[in-house]
Amino acid sequence: MQHVSLIERLLRGVALILVVVFFMFPIVWIVLMSFQTNETILRVPPSFIFEPTISNYKALITGKLETSAASLEINFLRNLGNSVLLSVGSVALALLLGVPAAYAFARHKFKGSEDIAFTLLSFRFAPPLLVLLPLSLYFQKIGLADTYIGLIWVYQLICLPLILWIVRGYFEDISPDIENAYRIAGHSWFSTFRKIALPLAGPGIAAAGLLAFIFAWNNFIFALVLASADKQPVTVGALAFVTASGIQYGQIAAAIVLSIAPTLALALYAQRYLVEGLSLGAVKG
Amino acid sequence: MYDKEKSLAKDFLDGKLSRRELIKRFGAMGLTASSAGVLLNMQASNALAADFDWKKHSGKTVKLLLNKHPYTDAMIANLDNFKALTGMDVEYDIFPEDVYFDKVTAALSSGSSEYDAFMTGAYMTWTYGPAGWIEDLNEWIEDPEKTNPNYAWDDMLEGVKSSCAWNGKPGGELGSADAKQWCIPWGYEQNNLSYNAGMLDAAGIAVPTNIDELGEAAAALTKDGVYGLGVRGSRSWATIHPGFLSGYANFGEKDLNNDGGKLSAAMNTDVSKDYHSKWVKMIQDSGAKDWATHTWYQVGTDLGAGKSAIIYDADILGYFMNGDGNAMGGKLAYAPFAANPEASAPTPNIWIWSMAMAKASKDKDATWQFLQWATGPEHGLFGATKMDFVNPVRKSVWADEMFRERLNSSYPGYVEMHDVSAPGAKIHFTAQPLFFDLTTEWASTLQKMVANEVPVDEGLDQLAESVNVQLKDAGLG
Amino acid sequence: MRAYPLTYKKLTPVSTTASKRKRSGFISRAALPYVLSLPALLVCIGILIPFFTAVFYSLQRYRLSQPWAREMNWGENYLNFLTDPGFWATLEVSLLYAVLTVGLELLLGLAIALLLQRRSRVNNFVSIMLLMPLMTAPALAALMFKLMTNQGFGILSYLLALVGVDDFRWGSSPDTALFTVVLVDIWVYTPFIMILLLAGLRSLPTQPFEAAALDGVPRIQQFFRITLPMLTPYILTAALFRLLESIQQFDIIYAMTQGGPGDTLTVFQVEAYLNFFQSTNVGRSAALLMILWAITFFISNIFIKNWLRLRERARGEA
Repeated sequence: MQHVSLIERLLRGVALILVVVFFMFPIVWIVLMSFQTNETILRVPPSFIFEPTISNYKALITGKLETSAASLEINFLRNLGNSVLLSVGSVALALLLGVPAAYAFARHKFKGSEDIAFTLLSFRFAPPLLVLLPLSLYFQKIGLADTYIGLIWVYQLICLPLILWIVRGYFEDISPDIENAYRIAGHSWFSTFRKIALPLAGPGIAAAGLLAFIFAWNNFIFALVLASADKQPVTVGALAFVTASGIQYGQIAAAIVLSIAPTLALALYAQRYLVEGLSLGAVKG
Repeated sequence: MYDKEKSLAKDFLDGKLSRRELIKRFGAMGLTASSAGVLLNMQASNALAADFDWKKHSGKTVKLLLNKHPYTDAMIANLDNFKALTGMDVEYDIFPEDVYFDKVTAALSSGSSEYDAFMTGAYMTWTYGPAGWIEDLNEWIEDPEKTNPNYAWDDMLEGVKSSCAWNGKPGGELGSADAKQWCIPWGYEQNNLSYNAGMLDAAGIAVPTNIDELGEAAAALTKDGVYGLGVRGSRSWATIHPGFLSGYANFGEKDLNNDGGKLSAAMNTDVSKDYHSKWVKMIQDSGAKDWATHTWYQVGTDLGAGKSAIIYDADILGYFMNGDGNAMGGKLAYAPFAANPEASAPTPNIWIWSMAMAKASKDKDATWQFLQWATGPEHGLFGATKMDFVNPVRKSVWADEMFRERLNSSYPGYVEMHDVSAPGAKIHFTAQPLFFDLTTEWASTLQKMVANEVPVDEGLDQLAESVNVQLKDAGLG
Repeated sequence: MRAYPLTYKKLTPVSTTASKRKRSGFISRAALPYVLSLPALLVCIGILIPFFTAVFYSLQRYRLSQPWAREMNWGENYLNFLTDPGFWATLEVSLLYAVLTVGLELLLGLAIALLLQRRSRVNNFVSIMLLMPLMTAPALAALMFKLMTNQGFGILSYLLALVGVDDFRWGSSPDTALFTVVLVDIWVYTPFIMILLLAGLRSLPTQPFEAAALDGVPRIQQFFRITLPMLTPYILTAALFRLLESIQQFDIIYAMTQGGPGDTLTVFQVEAYLNFFQSTNVGRSAALLMILWAITFFISNIFIKNWLRLRERARGEA
């Protein structure tokens, strides 16, 4: 590596701090807000000094929220559970379908391969609104309306193309030599795929899966149109605090914090896969 | 377990006990106002049962689609009484207000038979009715076999009731003889002034009584980080229908002309241009800086937090902001408002939260059983006196002494405001299926005017032209 | 165990020829790739049914509120766009929004990735932390920004006022509305590009850089001659997925301004959403979305062709 001058290190440090401030400030602000009552949030001018309260979190977790107007029943934990179920289910399905397909496209040049690959990706092109409304009609007819299965199927449509495209890149970046050597040693195709190819691309698959998970988690409109209130994700659930008698900013902030937490935990846990995984660092040695 | 309380309630209903006495005795027993109300309502419901077969649909279940709203909370609080009265069960899906109508449209347009009844506004029925998604409820209201004798349909405020009835013809008069009752009023909002009494007193400003005074007062109140006048401004129909249209109608102006069934734009008259100019100037001089993104929530929040002095918006928005948890809770007051100095009384345009019955419902008689209870006088009185089920749509509730006293004690001027403006309160829009297209464009035009992107008269001419084209396109003009 | 990145093959041509020879031995397995890829296709293909239904709607005069007037009008919805200034405004602002957001996010994302390129605990931790905006649902992020930019309680408006800018109206003025929504978009989605490019940067082989350093090639030239070209497939992937989302943006814009003020931000999905859910004009809504689909299809095609070409060339050079 080249010598890095002191000035450059200084500049890089300053730039990094600016970046962190820009991206983290709103998050910090939301976290602070989640420990305040509406009254302190709506002070003019805004201030960092306040008496922290955990009432927002308590309300979300116990499902009871006392406001000036009435006591509200909320079911945020159920929303959270729905988000987990829908995101995990759809990512799992997308991985199951997408990884073998990605492998096929990466390793085999076959008739129509690029067409199939492109078609699969092109499912991502259709604006969600375009297909969602006719879809709700068909779901009604075939009984998939208001079912988790139907929702997971729609959700995986946004996960699959992302997984397919990124994982395909990984398989292509991994030299086939090892797989070939293993096969020559007399192992079946499937055991080669399972024992060699999958582990090699594992970090990349995990990283693509995590990105797909984030996109599924953040989706808003699918469940709203296709399912009843007991199957709504956090994105819809958090809007319950926007009520005619006022916006409960504290609870919304707490809801956002709670909705980020699982994904963040997953990302921290999968840290080395996420960054190193996407870059094949883990297999570079 | 509630035997003693129940017998008290029965005494009251039999006329042996005054209401005041009853509440006092309940209080002595340690009952809260709201649970006493539920009990009382239970007895009232029992009294009803004598005259009508409430148990006819016992064992059936109806499912509702509801908006997250204080009205919904009030209904749920009293729901056990309905179940006991009818032996029926009620399931419900509650969606946040922000996405509520999108959910309704999605559910109805998909042909789902999941929901038997749902909350709606009258404007929405101008789409749902012609689309064939909801029932004309006259069929049930007028059938003595199906509607209990105490339902008292005539007890509904006339302007409110007829605003929910439309014959389905574009431009057809609301509440006409051939009108279909697309929905039943549940609770409603008039648009008048809610103001921060302390701020007006401190500045020595009298409550404005017409648009010119409102403009002056708002300008004088705009100082020290407070702005004078809160009104909605987002790019939505919701910006047009509250204060803005109430004042507009007070000048005798209309949205559309109806020439024998042919509709055409009516918002580019001289009087309208004058009114628009005043409105736009008011917002530029003394409105919120972020007016163009203000919805119901911001208008309310700012008043409640003491950031704005007066709002010309829904009365119940001012009502909610007077509650605890708002910096200005308990400091707000209310006044009727006639924008036109020549007008004898206010003409508020109204929003009506109503209940409609889905055409896809599998058991409509059972659904009606629920609807007549939920929109009936007993639940109305319970909600209005014990919960935040305001404004009631029934005359009997407004006449109730306890209800009036409750409002008068904590919401100064509210009752009088309502009484003064109720005669002129109705929907002042022309009923037609392009309502949302035209009002969204109207709001967008207002935004351009306030941002000085287009002069008022030119903007209105453009709007009228565009409205005419759209009406023609849809075969209405 | 050891595998090699794509670019490494340039140095070891033997491996590719070897693999070609071996692959010819799998001919009996001709069906295998189909077995692997068709399930994905079969599971997803169902989405084409509602898609074609939507195409059909777009060729109709179809308002839910006027069911009696429903009829085929073939291309009329589309033809009407030609003379509809609202449509052209939609097209313009949608493309502008997409170009601005994707462009700025690519620049910013690349810059941050370069800052974090060196492997260290701090850099890894920071890169995970920076993903948090991406984990905030755009619809909710917009709600928070709306509060932060509120003229009274908003911390951002307050901070601006402290430095003397006290009349900045964010989403409420036609002059700054686009800036505001682009800012929120950048906040939410730059981390997506950052993480993909960071991965790309870290996967680059070290030899070319070492060789260049030995030759005394300045770092700035190394960046343009080596880093950027080798990073291109990653940039294309990141840009493609970002573009697909950006040109179809809805959550942020709708929550911040509902397409206003005036008609400043009536992008495709916002306009189509209002057309469907409020006006219940299904025909126009579907036609708008079909145009959006066509644009997306066209742009993606260019991206994918280039992506494939780059990868082919990389192999061809081997």
